[in-house]
Amino acid sequence: MIRKALCLFALLVAACGTSFAQQAPKTQLKVGQVAPDFTLNDTEGKPVKLSDFRGKKNVVLAFYVLAFTGG
Amino acid sequence: MDSFAANRRFAQDIGVTFPLLSDWHRTVVKDYGLLDEKSGYSARATFVIDKEGIIKHIEEGRTAIDPTGAYQACNVFEHKKS
Repeated sequence: MIRKALCLFALLVAACGTSFAQQAPKTQLKVGQVAPDFTLNDTEGKPVKLSDFRGKKNVVLAFYVLAFTGG
Repeated sequence: MDSFAANRRFAQDIGVTFPLLSDWHRTVVKDYGLLDEKSGYSARATFVIDKEGIIKHIEEGRTAIDPTGAYQACNVFEHKKS
């Protein structure tokens, strides 16, 4: 049976550079805190704002650096 | 750094069904504490955020690429709804 993860709206943020070989930076954010709001462009150049999902959908926000490599 | 245009090609290649965003100016990785300012590199991480904008789960480092933790956190939402 397919899980209803359909309520979730996944965002993938592609950035550059990762430092797995050394100590990767650790987030200062904690579970229970409000996620910092942001607006970033999607693949069509349209702005996507995190707070636009407030009250509508849960969000999985994945920072996937070096998306074009096996890194 | 990946532009939205480069991401578009990537999204087409792998057939993503969700928004693929470009943090061109590294502002968001900085806000989320994932940017190493000295090297300019950033870390991988996954955050599960509920409808109220509250962080419910954080996966960092090498395990961030594994969706298991986020998937389990999502299941908690489902159980709470039912």
